[in-house]
Amino acid sequence: MPFRATRLPYRSVKLQARAVWTWIIDHLKRALRINNSQQTLHHEPTPSTKDTPISSISDLPATQNGCQPLSALTRSPQPEVQFTSRQGASSPGHDDDMPSKTPHTNGKEPVENGINGTKDVEMKDDAQSTLKAGKGKKVKEGEEEMTVVVPPSKGSKLSAPPPKDTDGDLTMDGSANAEGDDLAVKIDPVAKAVADIKGNFPLLEKAVALFDARFSLRALRSISSIRKRLTPDILAQVITETYPSTNPAAQSLLVAIGRENASFTKAGSEMEIDGEKVTKAGKKEPKEIIPEIDIFLGILVQIYYLDNKIVQKGAVFSAHLAERIHALNRRTLDSLSARVYFYFSLFAEQTAPLPPSPASPVIAIRPALLSALRTAVLRKDIDTQSTVIVLLLRNYLSTSHITQADLLISHTKFPENASNNQVARYLYYLGRIRAIQLRYTEAHEHLTAATRKAPSSPSAAGFSQTATKLLLVVELLMGDIPDRATFRLPSLERPLAPYLLLVQAVRVGNLEEFETVIKQHSETFRRDGTYTLILRLRQNVIKTGIRMMSLSYSRISLRDICIRLHLGSEESAEYIVAKAIRDGVIEASLDREKGFMKSKEIGDIYATREPGEAFHDRIRACLSLHDESVKAMRFPMNQHRLELKNAQEAREREREMAKEIQDGDLDEDDLGGEFEGM
Amino acid sequence: MADRELTEILRKLKSSKSYTESNALLSKAKINLLKLKALTPTPTTSQAHLIAAREVFETGALVSIRAKDPAAFTKYVHQVRPFYDVLGDGGERKKITGLYLLLLLTQGDYAGFHTELEGLQLLSEGESVEEDRFLGYPIKLERWLMEGAYDRVWRAMASREVPSEEYSVFSEILTTQIRSEIASCSETAYPSLPISSTKNLLFLESEGAVISFAQARGWIIKDGRIYFPNQGPMDGGEGEEERSSLATIENTLGYARELETIV
Repeated sequence: MPFRATRLPYRSVKLQARAVWTWIIDHLKRALRINNSQQTLHHEPTPSTKDTPISSISDLPATQNGCQPLSALTRSPQPEVQFTSRQGASSPGHDDDMPSKTPHTNGKEPVENGINGTKDVEMKDDAQSTLKAGKGKKVKEGEEEMTVVVPPSKGSKLSAPPPKDTDGDLTMDGSANAEGDDLAVKIDPVAKAVADIKGNFPLLEKAVALFDARFSLRALRSISSIRKRLTPDILAQVITETYPSTNPAAQSLLVAIGRENASFTKAGSEMEIDGEKVTKAGKKEPKEIIPEIDIFLGILVQIYYLDNKIVQKGAVFSAHLAERIHALNRRTLDSLSARVYFYFSLFAEQTAPLPPSPASPVIAIRPALLSALRTAVLRKDIDTQSTVIVLLLRNYLSTSHITQADLLISHTKFPENASNNQVARYLYYLGRIRAIQLRYTEAHEHLTAATRKAPSSPSAAGFSQTATKLLLVVELLMGDIPDRATFRLPSLERPLAPYLLLVQAVRVGNLEEFETVIKQHSETFRRDGTYTLILRLRQNVIKTGIRMMSLSYSRISLRDICIRLHLGSEESAEYIVAKAIRDGVIEASLDREKGFMKSKEIGDIYATREPGEAFHDRIRACLSLHDESVKAMRFPMNQHRLELKNAQEAREREREMAKEIQDGDLDEDDLGGEFEGM
Repeated sequence: MADRELTEILRKLKSSKSYTESNALLSKAKINLLKLKALTPTPTTSQAHLIAAREVFETGALVSIRAKDPAAFTKYVHQVRPFYDVLGDGGERKKITGLYLLLLLTQGDYAGFHTELEGLQLLSEGESVEEDRFLGYPIKLERWLMEGAYDRVWRAMASREVPSEEYSVFSEILTTQIRSEIASCSETAYPSLPISSTKNLLFLESEGAVISFAQARGWIIKDGRIYFPNQGPMDGGEGEEERSSLATIENTLGYARELETIV
């Protein structure tokens, strides 16, 4: 997500933010240089993996840029810190497109390129389809694809390959190659889809073997490309080829897709290269199908139901699947189960009667979700925990049980290192609840964070639109006028059009225009769930109107105020102005006998503490940005093993050093330099 | 058995006039509901029991409002709400909800008020909540209060716009509330006020009432005019300045420290 300086409340902060950023980036660069003097910093075009003849290179998705694979192959010292944020930050384009606070999102792009050159295009197509599927409400599924984890560096793999690992690599390479071949030869799409789905099984197996959730996330991510091609036949083929016929899980899956008669043929021969690899893997561990694969196929079935709007069956199947997951206690299942619950609740939402009605099934699934949350908290399952909290909030808000949602928030602790998208959603719902409770400052804080954290890809446009709408209303309620630039962004321009009119009415303080806008667009506002909030704006419009009067006239009769603001009666006008004075909206005094308002001279704002406070706020924002960037750096998990590898060298060096110390010809500077280097 | 007893009690409740009598009947009714396992709605509760339970709680709510017992009223409202969720609209739902909104308003619990309102908006799809006789009243009052159009609030309370007798219970509380609001506004807005017009401003009956009110608030009355003593910005003088410079120093030190850790 590119961080846009213009989204900060003040335009001038752009300059400051830029300065601080260059400074932060410089610092980061320096850190990188210290850690790995060999790594080039500037981003170079990634060579397409298809061009590289060595097959194992396609297994190098971890590599961030083109030059690293080479260094990895030559086994040069590995970078200790991987920057998932855009490394090309120093490139000229970074002025308005700076590395985000939550850099995980960015790390994905090179990965996708690394695995499969065609995926980027497919992602976009999928984005559109999900946009449609999400009915423009909130494009949850599309957004989900943004969950990104950078696979481990080559270094960690080289240094610590457990026996199974190589198998996984091999099969994966195979599938990647097979895919490449497919593209070239244009094999029938069914076989390709089957191969794609199967290509994920080694990933899942690897996730279990290595106990590394990143592999399962990678498998989940590939769903977006498989999704469009899912048919019961493809699913049935995958199932029959994967499971032995006696497996009950396979049977139930087949029943679910209505292909219970499919015959089991293990490893069909029609899949040339890939089939071979799968059988090879299959032979290695016969019969043992890990539950992760079950669940993965379950998710695919759910998606199939969802995309084809078979809601009833989908709801039943999901409830079943959720129950199964609840019984299983495997940490490697976490990210998968989060996804299962997500679709589970989505089905409930789409089943008639739809949410606002009190008989909606969303209420019925609450106990299930709550117990899932309880289990997830006990198991420290962050993925499920964050997903389920967000789902529950959505659930409560859909029937506008705001008090319950508020209680849920106060009784749970949202996991700190939840995935970025879940955090964004959570913040949005939190902001919504706070806005309803009139805690605008908090709401504003949460919503700003939510819009900033929202992924900027087109598939998540719905989310950022919804969040921005709410943010605009909250800003208006706080008495601020939102930045005009927000309305000019191409992704926001059209959906925000009614809000632009609203802002204009509020800005001028024209009560009449305000009422017309509400009347004209009340349907839109109701649909967006901002209607009640907008109704509250009335007093703000009046206050702005009064402020305008007070700024333009040094003395004005109450009668004129009443006429200009359409207040009904002079008496009301008097009370309203009096209240505005008391609330500090204007600096003025009233004269009751003569019936006029007299404005006071406005003091110099630079004599107050306000500029200092604004400055402090901005500095604080920049500092927290820096802190978060540092936190977002990824430290490879198996780094210590690499060090073991290097231990030999280190020991040698130490011996040498000890010798030198003994000889007494090592001076202070040398020693100091050495430590710094380490 | 409990069934018949309950209908009997309900019948008696309708005719009962005194608070203590109704209260005793209500506790009996609740015990009966408990026996019927209908104190909270469950999927197995029969429709007739649900309606009976709703009626008991509604009566309880109205009785406690008439007796000016907001705590008891709130309790009944919370008890009756699950039944509304199951039974949908019906009974005295709008009246009770409207009264609850008004109660929240008089208690100054605006957050609660708006939370409640948000739920109503979803319920009444199609028809506007403001148009409703019972619900529209508190909503309008809230809007006028927030704007500061106190004269309209006053007129709404005085006129026949009040939807039912229970609503007028709150009028008294609201009057005191807006009076003190107006007073605090006047303190800052006017340099001085003639007593005669203050009477209208504060919706007071007589000039004598104005004088006693002014004395209660500590206003000074001189030559038929009211002067407000604690007017003018209360500048903290040196203390304020010192605090602001201390804050600046603290901030700057903070920046320096952060800079130190980063670079």
